Amino acid sequence: MKASKEKTKYGVLGAVVLLLGIIFMLPVFLIISNAFKPNKDILTNFIALPTSLYLDNFTEAMEIMNFWTVFRNTVLVTVSTVVIATLFSFFCAYGISHLKGKISTFFYMLFVLGQIIPFHTVMIAISVLATNAHLNNTLIGLVIFNSGFFTAFGVMTFVGFLKGIPRELEEAATLDGCGIWRTMMQVVFPLLVPTTVTVGVLFFLWSWNDFLLPSILNGDESLRTITVNLYMFKSSTSAQWNLFIAGLTLSMLPIVVIYILAQRYITSGLTSGAIK
Amino acid sequence: MSDLLYKKNRKFYILLILPALALYCFGLVGPLLAGTIPSSFYDWNLIEGNKDWIGFGNYVKLFSDTTFLHSLLFTMILAVFTIIGTNILAFFVAFLLNEKIFGKTVSRAMFFIPNIISGVMVAFVWIFIFTGAIPSVAESIGLESLANVSWFGTPTMATVSVIIVSVWQGTGFLMMLYLAGLQTIPQDVLEASTLDGCTGLKKIIKIQLPLLMSTVTINLFVSIAGAFKAFDIPFALTAGGPSKSTQTVALNIYNDAFGSFKTGYGSAKSVILFLIIAIVTIIQLSITRKREVEA
Repeated sequence: MKASKEKTKYGVLGAVVLLLGIIFMLPVFLIISNAFKPNKDILTNFIALPTSLYLDNFTEAMEIMNFWTVFRNTVLVTVSTVVIATLFSFFCAYGISHLKGKISTFFYMLFVLGQIIPFHTVMIAISVLATNAHLNNTLIGLVIFNSGFFTAFGVMTFVGFLKGIPRELEEAATLDGCGIWRTMMQVVFPLLVPTTVTVGVLFFLWSWNDFLLPSILNGDESLRTITVNLYMFKSSTSAQWNLFIAGLTLSMLPIVVIYILAQRYITSGLTSGAIK
Repeated sequence: MSDLLYKKNRKFYILLILPALALYCFGLVGPLLAGTIPSSFYDWNLIEGNKDWIGFGNYVKLFSDTTFLHSLLFTMILAVFTIIGTNILAFFVAFLLNEKIFGKTVSRAMFFIPNIISGVMVAFVWIFIFTGAIPSVAESIGLESLANVSWFGTPTMATVSVIIVSVWQGTGFLMMLYLAGLQTIPQDVLEASTLDGCTGLKKIIKIQLPLLMSTVTINLFVSIAGAFKAFDIPFALTAGGPSKSTQTVALNIYNDAFGSFKTGYGSAKSVILFLIIAIVTIIQLSITRKREVEA
């Protein structure tokens, strides 16, 4: 009797919370549902659900936005940044945690201190530097600078988790004739897969959503990434709600899909990142 | 490990550090120490092409720059209201989601997704809501006064809009932190309090909230540092307007540097912003580290 009563209670409470969640997300749902309507329907009655599957907004928006080029740029930049920043962070953390004495502390503190430098305080210097180093109007520039920013967090996180791996394990591997590189990659690295996924997912989000760096570095239309491109798209379609909304839906879609696929890692990554 | 082996491997360890160190120095440390800080002592304008040493001239000028001072004030206002709004909402939602309720994963996702969408896109979603959706609904239900609100027209309303959108985006992240915190409270403590007749609101205030104080502290500092770095939402939502009333410090620096090309002056402002964020973050790190020891 009591159990079923409790079940009802959690069912009702769950429905209430779900309703609150839907209300919270309503702005996004309204954008998506309106993206399927012709412009005149959006202006007259935007709450009504779309009556038919009207896809012209998307095809037109994709063409104006140059969507596939932009999508390709963003994927290229994000994937390269994630791979480089994650791998280099791991290498560096491994070196730091194996070095002995003051030099180890020095390097560790150097990277920890990087977390107190916000991007906004170096953006002017970066734009001057990028011009001098001919890294402006390139995709590789984004990868290099973002990897540099991200390593501060990556190194700190990896060092923290490397502390938990018993040294005896590595010593045993060495005694068995396992070389230093193989010990690092085949004995230690597999144990850090959860950390690597967490760090990688965070780097992915930061790089994918980045707006300021690409807007400072790249003026070239063919080099735009998704967020910058949407910003530019808005100024060119401000009078046409339908196109703007379709473009916005398309731009939000990849990250939402990735969230649904990697929900567990994103959640744990973000929370451990703030607490660690 | 034997000393001999360590000596042999030492070079390898240092080599491992180098790639990350090179990128890190090139992208962050170098630009700060060799770029931002020295530039702040020059009267340097990229368009006019002059670059003259003026010592602390830029810093002196800062104190009488009403636009900059206002951006500091606006950043504080944004910080205070966003912190209050996000923390209350996040705690409330986390508290509900901590129960064994039906549809938990889906509900949690609803509150969290705004947090992973970029600030620019979030701002654009709300531009549509403010200028399209709200007036249209208000008109259809006869609420003329709501329909005629100009969300970006006056400094006050623009500030309110930036706050609403910032709270909407920030809530999900803090909710996750509160949820993680709530789950660390031992079940037997809660059961014992229930047996002693402590339930409902009393249980939240007397048992759960005190045990969550470390999470609350973390959340406060995360929010403060976040507010001082606010850029995307005000930039895309109001562009700092009307008449620069919703400019955050970061946005003010951006406009100086990339709107009027005042490289030297903008750098001086960057140094001030760096000092503010550095102090906040150092306090945050020292508190969270202390907590780690206790745990």
